Amino acid sequence: MNLKRTLALSHLLTGLLVSVMIIALLGTLRLLTPPIDTIGETLLHINAQSTQVANAVTSVVTYFRGLDTLGEVSILFLSIFGVALHMQHSTRNLFGAHDTLLQIGAQVLFPLIVLFGVYIITHGHLSPGGGFQGGVIIASAFVLRFLAYGDHYEPSARLLTLSESLSGAGLVLLGVLGLLLGDRIFAQILSLGTMGTLLSGGVIELVYLFVGLKVAAEMTLLSQHFIKARDV
Amino acid sequence: MFDAFGSSALLHQAITLLCFIIFGVALFGVLVKKNLFNIFLAFSIAEAALFLFFIGNHYAAQLQAPILFEGLSRFDPAVMVDPLPQAMILTTIVIGIAVLALALTFVIRYYKLTGHMRIDEMDELGEDR
Repeated sequence: MNLKRTLALSHLLTGLLVSVMIIALLGTLRLLTPPIDTIGETLLHINAQSTQVANAVTSVVTYFRGLDTLGEVSILFLSIFGVALHMQHSTRNLFGAHDTLLQIGAQVLFPLIVLFGVYIITHGHLSPGGGFQGGVIIASAFVLRFLAYGDHYEPSARLLTLSESLSGAGLVLLGVLGLLLGDRIFAQILSLGTMGTLLSGGVIELVYLFVGLKVAAEMTLLSQHFIKARDV
Repeated sequence: MFDAFGSSALLHQAITLLCFIIFGVALFGVLVKKNLFNIFLAFSIAEAALFLFFIGNHYAAQLQAPILFEGLSRFDPAVMVDPLPQAMILTTIVIGIAVLALALTFVIRYYKLTGHMRIDEMDELGEDR
């Protein structure tokens, strides 16, 4: 196939794709109507008595769609596994800045950022936030350490692996316990508490705690693999 | 912030148009750019357009977040947005990050193997150029 024909074919395909998308856009613009009686409304109605959680998004993520979250966490784990298989590890930090001011700032900020991440995780059922967001915030504290200390900093691999595997096992255990003691996977097996307090929601807070630990460990591992990649 | 739109149909049409434009930018990047890194960046821009589309189309003017705080005492679909799309988009964002990390790893591996990452210079399958 010569170059000219390939060019013409790709232009034809692009034009076809764009016209199909424009037709779809016009149809979407015309058909936009407010949805009536969706699943979300039903979930909002039953949320108050079935979960006692002030944040409805949290109850959807961890309770009504708990199996989905388990699958999502396993996709994240598999992806980090693939990254760890394919990136060649070295001890040299590609992005380390040897700056005293940054090192002192990292010393001050590291515990504060970790504390803020833990706060976001533990208050995920009361305010915006949750396991994923808080986990990423905790990982950002470790990224700050990577940037500040350069080659001299390496997080404890044993601690990272231990927290990741223990939280993953805890998440699966919670699901199986719900299946055994309750009626479905991630069923409510603890007392609900009263809405608006820190210990409300029962199993939901535990799920987010495990998810937060797992995401923090995995994101730290991920950034470590990219920051300490072997020179190309 | 969006109260100036008045009717939510107009707001949804504006959001749909905006997301279509962002998706068009991403599609342009995927089709025209030759660098593998730029192509995966364009894919992640397309993801962002989809997130905006889903979240924006389930928002209507004067609706609150589905969270109880001072001023709200019970869950009422008339004053709160649908929590289901937000939860699903939260799932999708995490999966998008995971897939992007894996794809960039493959790009780095490819660069180490061949010394370039332009798709118009690929000839590993032995095709004539």
